[in-house]
Amino acid sequence: MSLLPSCRDVARHLSDSLDGGRHLGMHVRLHLSVCEVCRRVLAQFELIRRGAARVPEEGPSLTPESKARLRRALEPG
Amino acid sequence: MTTEPSTWVDAYGDRLYRYALSRVRDEGSAEDLVQETLLAAFKSRDRFKGESSELTWMTGILRNKIFELYRKQAREAPLAPAGDDDGPETEFFDARHWSAAAAPRDWAGEPALKAESAEFSAALGKCLGALAPNVARAFILREMEGAAPRAAAEALGVAPGHFAVLMYRARLRLRRCLEKGLFAPEST
Repeated sequence: MSLLPSCRDVARHLSDSLDGGRHLGMHVRLHLSVCEVCRRVLAQFELIRRGAARVPEEGPSLTPESKARLRRALEPG
Repeated sequence: MTTEPSTWVDAYGDRLYRYALSRVRDEGSAEDLVQETLLAAFKSRDRFKGESSELTWMTGILRNKIFELYRKQAREAPLAPAGDDDGPETEFFDARHWSAAAAPRDWAGEPALKAESAEFSAALGKCLGALAPNVARAFILREMEGAAPRAAAEALGVAPGHFAVLMYRARLRLRRCLEKGLFAPEST
């Protein structure tokens, strides 16, 4: 059994670190320094975070019927 | 002082709806959320001080409504405690390392630009739809709403450790789904 974390361990560490759960320890950093795939995973997790935080400017709109319903709901009385 | 409420549906309706739909993934629920948001804004319009734009103010109301909805769903269908089983990850790993089929590939082109595109939002929506609802909700609260992990876990009614497992599963699955659908589709 290796003392160094596996790619599987590292993927979990990377996810936890994005939620502030734990800092990447020396062993994980060492693994990242030699494992291109795991560096890629970190970059991709971060990229997904940036993309997901964006509010979509395009996409479906309310139907005219829905808008009419909403307008009625906002009418006084 | 707000603008005339009769103009709100045309001015903000579609933007609030897109926001809601990207977070709840159901047209009926999204429309209900927009209606609740507009009504709440209408009732509290005297308190609007104009320190932010009306849209920002209404989006804040909508975000609270989304949290409320998630809390309600969690109360109605509580999640079972997460097991520490290896099941969900076995499709990605051969024991310690990525399996040949699931190993992350290089994302071609300019992935950072692609992540800012409408194409990304559409692909993410599709990929979220393929996740188990609890996994999708965890991701939406944390990464789309920017909720702190503890607040998101509390809204979902799960322990912090369970929430971390849900986030891990969400990231693994979304990474693969977005890779296949957008960032590095396999040539056919």
